[in-house]
Amino acid sequence: MADLYPISITVNGKLHKGSVEPRTHLADFLREDLGLKGSHLGCEHGVCGACTVELNGRVVRACLTLAVQADGGRVQTIEGLSETGVIRDLQHAFVKRNALQCGFCTSGMLVAAKELVEQRPDASRGEVRDWISGNYCRCTGYHSIVDAICDVLQERKAAPFGHTEASA
Amino acid sequence: MKAAAFDYIKPTSFDHVLDLLQEHGDDARLMAGGQSLMATLNMRLSEPALVIDITGLDALRGISVQNQHLRIGALVTHAEIEASPLVARHAPMLAKAAPHIAHRAIRNAGTWGGSIAYADPAAEWPACVLALGGTVVARGLGGERRIAADDFFLGLYTTALRPAEVLVAGEIPVAEVDHWWGFSELARRHGDYAIVGIAASARRAGTALHDARIALFGVGATPVRALKTEALLNGKGLADINVAEAVASIRAEIDPFSDLTNSTDTKRHLAGVLLQRMLGTSQA
Amino acid sequence: MELTGDMRLTAPRDKVWAGLNDPDILARCIPGCEGIEVISPTEKSARVMVKVGPVRARFAGQIRMDQVRLGEGCTMQFQGSGGAAGMAKGQSQVELSDEDGGTRLRYNVHASVGGKLGQVGGRLIDAAAEQMANQFFAAFKEQLGEVPARDATLGGESKAPERTHEIAPVPAAMAHPVSGAPSPLQKVSAVPSPLAVSERVRILWFLLGSLSTGFGVWIASLLTRSAP
Repeated sequence: MADLYPISITVNGKLHKGSVEPRTHLADFLREDLGLKGSHLGCEHGVCGACTVELNGRVVRACLTLAVQADGGRVQTIEGLSETGVIRDLQHAFVKRNALQCGFCTSGMLVAAKELVEQRPDASRGEVRDWISGNYCRCTGYHSIVDAICDVLQERKAAPFGHTEASA
Repeated sequence: MKAAAFDYIKPTSFDHVLDLLQEHGDDARLMAGGQSLMATLNMRLSEPALVIDITGLDALRGISVQNQHLRIGALVTHAEIEASPLVARHAPMLAKAAPHIAHRAIRNAGTWGGSIAYADPAAEWPACVLALGGTVVARGLGGERRIAADDFFLGLYTTALRPAEVLVAGEIPVAEVDHWWGFSELARRHGDYAIVGIAASARRAGTALHDARIALFGVGATPVRALKTEALLNGKGLADINVAEAVASIRAEIDPFSDLTNSTDTKRHLAGVLLQRMLGTSQA
Repeated sequence: MELTGDMRLTAPRDKVWAGLNDPDILARCIPGCEGIEVISPTEKSARVMVKVGPVRARFAGQIRMDQVRLGEGCTMQFQGSGGAAGMAKGQSQVELSDEDGGTRLRYNVHASVGGKLGQVGGRLIDAAAEQMANQFFAAFKEQLGEVPARDATLGGESKAPERTHEIAPVPAAMAHPVSGAPSPLQKVSAVPSPLAVSERVRILWFLLGSLSTGFGVWIASLLTRSAP
């Protein structure tokens, strides 16, 4: 029924052109068409957070966004955020605090955590817990993840981390 | 789960949207933020032939104050409402309620108009609009019409919107200095659908409340007003309200549905608890 | 899911029974009913397109009737599949008794819902079941010639769902007399021969069961939390 729609999306700073069925969601486009497997599909209806990416500067669920809706937009996936180094301190903290076991939730957790440390540098532990409550983890029991994020909040306050700003 | 195949179109004119709705009827679905629709599509609980993306209609964006009303365009996202200084000033209940809506990622995409038109019984915006005596602005083939919140929520996922009609804005009367309001929601986890929630507003003449509106959500097929309990509040100062009486009244007045995790009795009890907490703390 | 209803209809019991026996009337009352097929004297299948909010689920159900007591009541076992949406099964019971020249109709439905519908729709199953019951009985009363108690321009939706389906007494000034004068519908369901009656009974209870199955599937056809 559906013709393929041409789209062009800037992903992690690089322009990609493709043709997709309208029903293809952004997560599938990133994973299948572009080979960026870092965003994961846990529930495919928006509740687990494993697919979280940045679209036009805001975190969204890639499974609830159509690829055709992202046409002309800018996407940052975990791969891009990692490459630019903006989440390096978060990644180190996650490793140090054992905040991942299977790693399935981790990419979504890091994208959510990045937004938190940028927008709420004074977040309390309770606020961190609320903030990441949209990302499910089946392995760690969450405390180590919260610990890691709190570590980074403290570090950034004490000595602002010399990370590079992500370019769109 | 992958959605069934559908066609997609993103009109740039409102008339085009109406033409498409007329032409396709029930085979087409409007998409604004898509945070509810996409989940439905992905689970194949809905298989429309055509998805009409209305996010190209810029006229449906924007928050402004007009004629003593705060007008919020249908396409304004929950996150925009959360961050808006106009909302914080003129409709502080909305600013308080916004963080309860799901999580950041959903709020960045989901919309005011989508939530009100979808009318989930456990959603925040329909209850807030009802509690604040807001107005829905809809536009269709017959032109634009305004529907009072009291007349808008008719049944489960059923509103007064006609088939080829689009919700274009929701308006809230601006909060005056005499505005009293409360918002409280209970959920198992932060961002879950409400087990039970209350949005309440009133005006103050001296110390006495009047025009009280208490809207509960999560307890019926639509947000419901507790009319008898409102009457108990009217004419009394906050300090003079018999809280036990009001709590008993709201429990008697509602007939909640049970669900997987909460019985009718639990919801009834919790509604009283929320009212008790609310009457104990006043929000200027 | 458990759903019970208790209502008084102004039509006398035999007319209610006959109306419930009429497959055409039932097909008109079950919202979204697309077809009914006879498998055997005690088993029928039905196709119903369920609409709740944005959800559209076409389900196919089978109903088996037993314990039919002509004019009084019946028990039904049912099961239905909503395709990708999930499935439901359960049983229902309907009882008719005379009351003040009219009829007291009581029903109860016990259903379990599985699949996606049960998982994501759990919190609204009761609400949706009640909406469907309201729609069915509003249409059924209209078919029996009763004037609706609420404004029918709202598409039959009552603003406040009622747990017991009480109808306000019909004022004398109503356009359609509900007792005495035969309506076209009542002529359609004129009493046939005993064999045809028992067959109609089965069809009729079958349809009620398919409605109940419809409840299970419909009500479960709800969305998950992703807020709009």
